[in-house]
Amino acid sequence: MIKQFNKEINSDYFDEVYEFKGLWDVTSRCGLKLVHKNDKTVVIATELYAENPGTSVTNYSAQLAGILSHHFNIAPVNLIFIVHDPEAKSKLTFMNEHFYKVDFEWDGTKFNYPKWSQIEKQIVDDLIR
Amino acid sequence: MKFKLIYPKWEKLEGQTIFNLPPHGPVVFAAALPEYVDIEFVDENVDTLTFDDDADFIGISMMLTGQIKRGWQIADEFRKRGKKVIFGGISTMLHAEETMEHADSIFLGEVEGRLEQVFSDFRNNKLQKVYNFMNQHPDINLIGPARRSILKKELYYHKGVRMVDLFHASRGCKYNCYPCAVAYLGGKCFRPRPIDKVVEELATIDNNRLFIVDNSLAQDKKWEMDLFREMIPFKKKWCSHPIEDDDEVLDLAAQAGAWFVYQAVFDTSDYIRDRVKRYHDHGIAVEGTILLGTDDHSEDDIKRLVDFLLEINLDLAEFTVLTPFPHTKAYDDMLRQNRIIDHDWNHYNAGKVVIQPKQMTPEKLQELYHYAWNTFYKEETQTEKMFKLFQQVIMKEIADGTYTRVREDLSRNSFGKQVIRKANN
Repeated sequence: MIKQFNKEINSDYFDEVYEFKGLWDVTSRCGLKLVHKNDKTVVIATELYAENPGTSVTNYSAQLAGILSHHFNIAPVNLIFIVHDPEAKSKLTFMNEHFYKVDFEWDGTKFNYPKWSQIEKQIVDDLIR
Repeated sequence: MKFKLIYPKWEKLEGQTIFNLPPHGPVVFAAALPEYVDIEFVDENVDTLTFDDDADFIGISMMLTGQIKRGWQIADEFRKRGKKVIFGGISTMLHAEETMEHADSIFLGEVEGRLEQVFSDFRNNKLQKVYNFMNQHPDINLIGPARRSILKKELYYHKGVRMVDLFHASRGCKYNCYPCAVAYLGGKCFRPRPIDKVVEELATIDNNRLFIVDNSLAQDKKWEMDLFREMIPFKKKWCSHPIEDDDEVLDLAAQAGAWFVYQAVFDTSDYIRDRVKRYHDHGIAVEGTILLGTDDHSEDDIKRLVDFLLEINLDLAEFTVLTPFPHTKAYDDMLRQNRIIDHDWNHYNAGKVVIQPKQMTPEKLQELYHYAWNTFYKEETQTEKMFKLFQQVIMKEIADGTYTRVREDLSRNSFGKQVIRKANN
């Protein structure tokens, strides 16, 4: 399930590659870091762009949050889900590093209706340290 | 069995010269059909579609997001008449969930080696709701010559001049560009066709002018050079997406008949200036593809970019506005930032602003889009610039003995319709 990943991505937010079945069962990959703090679990899912053969984290946020919650036994109410766009080393500013906190509605069986809020790196650091 | 394959029409960009090219997806699809299938093809952009006929099974092939709503309408009409409808093609893959609501079946992925199952299921009344071959690429050797015989060729002439035929030498793309969905659709690795297969297909095409539709030829230098070497004897004239920025490759491309390339121009750098110059140095014209309205663009940036294009003597320019097609990073960004302001897929033609730009209002971006077209083509219209390019190719063809005269019998027609000449008074 988890493989080594050699690409240079800010290791503060990235521990391993997580492989999942995305839309239409296509094998998909994201970077993953889990931090347990107090009773919460912060999940940082990193977009891997060209290294991801399938669905993006953003396009699959609710389903991926469900998969991760189940796989790592995280109570839905305790999951804090963050999407991380890594620095792509481009002169285009929209390829810079960004973080989004994603809020969902939990209907008792699955996450629905993702809502993204862009957050500063400092907030992510505060959450995981 | 009679199978009717339809390519839905879409609204062309306002004010632009209209060219209807023979579509590529349907002819590639047709090549993979079982022999017992009798296919009729209707390209609604140039032909009239009828609903009451004796087709057993209906296929709808969609390439553009701007085609999907019309495709759904067509499917609904046929299904009302009791016909089964299957969808395929690029925009079916991009809009699969929505398309399923209008379909008996959808086909996702590439068709080679897979249509026998679909048609067998249809004949046995076991058609599946989804044929999911996403990211399961067929053996590249299975891709044979496209079946261009399904096209009504006379419909692709403008005033007696035949349009280019579309052709592909590879699939997939190793790049992952911001506004592009190809990586999602065709896989994130470059899959070149074996050169002998490409040569075999080239030999079947009776058109001397081609559009090589591969996303970028600049993905494997050795293969690209081998391809150009093998193309030289055919004396075809062709346009394509970017070619490797290397003198040796560009020289071979020119010998192989490179006519013009579509090259993204994203800034006013010396790199772009030199890139365009190097194409020109090899006698290859450049049509710039210019995306307006990225987060880095201010009003001044866009105006400066248009001035720059004129300064570097681009042969043609095609301006578009940033459009968040599904399964692109552009879509992900706009979605997360709640900046998609228009969800009508008919408006996703890259000429209408459907997002909230970062540095200006949507109205301002729309105004700058028109400004860009009008300014670039102020001194010389798009038609005049195209005519110049056309003259270049005719000169090359005369020089190598491949020029064929315009079809006199179609000289008063444009894409199947009679040209109405305006009196000058």
